[in-house]
Amino acid sequence: MSILQRFQNIDRRWIYLVVALCIIVPLLIPFNSKTYVTDPSSNLYQKIDSFAGKEDKAVLLSFSHDASTMAELFPMEVSILRHCFERNIKVFTICFSPPSAPLMAYALNVAKEDYPNLQSGVDYCNFGYKPYGLFLPIVLGMGDDVAEAVQTDADGRKIKNLEIMNGIRNYDDLNLIIDFAASSAVFSWITYARVRFGANVAAGVTAVMAADNYPYLQSGQLVGMLSGLKGAAEYEKLVDVFAAYEDAEYPNGREYSPEVIKDTWVPIMSKKVSYESSDGIVETDVELPYKFKQARIGMNAQSIAHIMIILFIILGNIGYFMTRNKPDETI
Amino acid sequence: MLEFISNLIAALLTLFIFSFLYKDNPFYRFAEHLLVGVSMGYAIPLVYINAFIPFVYRPIFLEGNFWLIIPSCIGILYIFRFTKNLSWLSRYPIAFGMGIVGMGVPMSMHSSVLVQMRNAMRPVDSINSLLIFIGTVTILLYFYFSKPHKGLYGKFTNVGIWFMMVGFGASFGYTVMARISLLIGRIQFLLGDFLGFIK
Amino acid sequence: MKRQIPLIIVITLGFLFVAHTFIPSKASVDFYDWWVSWSKAISPFAVVLGILSLFMVHGTKIQRKAPNWQYSMVTLLALVITAFSGFAWGTNEGTPFLWLFENVQMPMSATMFSLLAFYIASAAYKAFRAKSLQATVLLVAAFIVMMGQVPIGAAISKWIPETAQWILNVPNLAAKRGIATGVGLGMTATALKILLGIERTYLGSD
Repeated sequence: MSILQRFQNIDRRWIYLVVALCIIVPLLIPFNSKTYVTDPSSNLYQKIDSFAGKEDKAVLLSFSHDASTMAELFPMEVSILRHCFERNIKVFTICFSPPSAPLMAYALNVAKEDYPNLQSGVDYCNFGYKPYGLFLPIVLGMGDDVAEAVQTDADGRKIKNLEIMNGIRNYDDLNLIIDFAASSAVFSWITYARVRFGANVAAGVTAVMAADNYPYLQSGQLVGMLSGLKGAAEYEKLVDVFAAYEDAEYPNGREYSPEVIKDTWVPIMSKKVSYESSDGIVETDVELPYKFKQARIGMNAQSIAHIMIILFIILGNIGYFMTRNKPDETI
Repeated sequence: MLEFISNLIAALLTLFIFSFLYKDNPFYRFAEHLLVGVSMGYAIPLVYINAFIPFVYRPIFLEGNFWLIIPSCIGILYIFRFTKNLSWLSRYPIAFGMGIVGMGVPMSMHSSVLVQMRNAMRPVDSINSLLIFIGTVTILLYFYFSKPHKGLYGKFTNVGIWFMMVGFGASFGYTVMARISLLIGRIQFLLGDFLGFIK
Repeated sequence: MKRQIPLIIVITLGFLFVAHTFIPSKASVDFYDWWVSWSKAISPFAVVLGILSLFMVHGTKIQRKAPNWQYSMVTLLALVITAFSGFAWGTNEGTPFLWLFENVQMPMSATMFSLLAFYIASAAYKAFRAKSLQATVLLVAAFIVMMGQVPIGAAISKWIPETAQWILNVPNLAAKRGIATGVGLGMTATALKILLGIERTYLGSD
């Protein structure tokens, strides 16, 4: 067997070892990298940010996934919650499958760790797990009356008695639903909530589902979309650059600006937030914990892994075409 | 201490599953069977507390809504699925649930077909919109299998195939990204939460 | 009796739901509320099917001492212990039930899916072949999209992410729109067939 043929027939476990090293090394030796923000992510950011400080506007986060896709979806969930907490946006969470319930609670706990003044029932509310048999009744019922449709939150409290429900009656107020899913679950929200009640729907999906949702983005059925770990990294940057931005001129975050986001980078290697732009570097005293840059650090490993996959495909094809017409040679 | 033990158990089970990459072994099989059992066992109390108690027990026995005894009996018919002679009884609860398909017809027709068609009928005022129009039409022509894909019609459907190849290439690229992301998540857990190398 | 009555139930309810969708009246709303309350009462019993099935499969293996029957014991014990812990100590935060889920089910479930990364790398080397021009176009589009998603791609050239975004917004959109329309028409046709009693596979075999 020639050397080329040996390489073609290499034990797959060597390939697995290369894959593991390509992920482990960039995570152990992280480096700064630039995250470019795309329109689907920035559109979602602007939509959520338009609710800032409003009593009669709220966001509903629907968790439709289990732990197997947590690596892609958890960072974007935490980022969106952080955005809502920074900009005083009312946020609700709900799930319709049992495995999503602890993930939802975990995301809330991780995000609100840095905001000790937040109160459940006032600033945010976890509707908790509702059986899937209630999906349609709740989705359709919220078009008339959210409190009536959902009834109780995760702690068993009557929702209509909670302070957060002041000014929130139906989809006219609970005007944005973001579905985090590893499947086409967002399609159900589009079909029932958007078609019937005109609610705005957005998606936070795994990268596998992202390409399939572009027609819904273009048609306006989705107002925005976060695609996998890349989408999470983009949203982390958006929150760092705008919602979590603090200085004398902007004590509570600043408005979105396409010029600023194109020009500004947030070095992820530092423990404190700093901003790098054409005007220079601005350092702050604000902590940047790992949980708020998890996706961007993961994207470093993603970069190396993608190059590895492309090299594998090219090498595999080169070997294939060079050996396919040659007879088997023994050394 | 509890956190250390929790992370240790989670990391050990993670490594048991990863050991399958070397070869099938008892550790992997143990973890696989444990996963099935815990997953099923997890659903049982949740369904009992969140579905059975509020929608069956409380309305019937505490609120006196005895009409709900009828659907509860229909639900019990599910278990006859495993019997030889009475498995036909399990069709009744299935049939009751399937009735909602009537609402799905107009709703899915609207969002999957009508809205997409409306957005495909935009003015062709740029190269991109022209390409989208050509791609959409040729792909729909491709999926019409009642007519042989020959001659001029075959040339149109061939254009559709090229568009689909690019679309599938994009999907493949995204799929690779998704799978790698899942592995990154697990490695982040092992290196960060368990070994403490990344903070 | 065995097939006709369930079919009649599906067809009747189906048409009533079509009417409910288009006719806003009190009778329509009352019908929907009635269906929802009955559906909520039926739904908890579906999980019994899954439990029974699991017990039957693994119980038979243990009874007959089939090969690797010990693993079936693991499955059933895990099911019983997890369910018992939920009933005994509740399902809230800090309970053994949730601890089992967060430290046993969640890590293993995530790891099972992460194995796919290794398989896709192995397939990339051994199976993905550009045997035709169309396959080559597929692979090139994949390369551009893969590099366009990561920071290194943007660092190499700004055209890589812009081309990737163009691929997603134009040819990919056209492809997915065509496929989505076809799927939507297929779903509508299947739903109509169920509604009219032509499609009966959901009833199972006799």
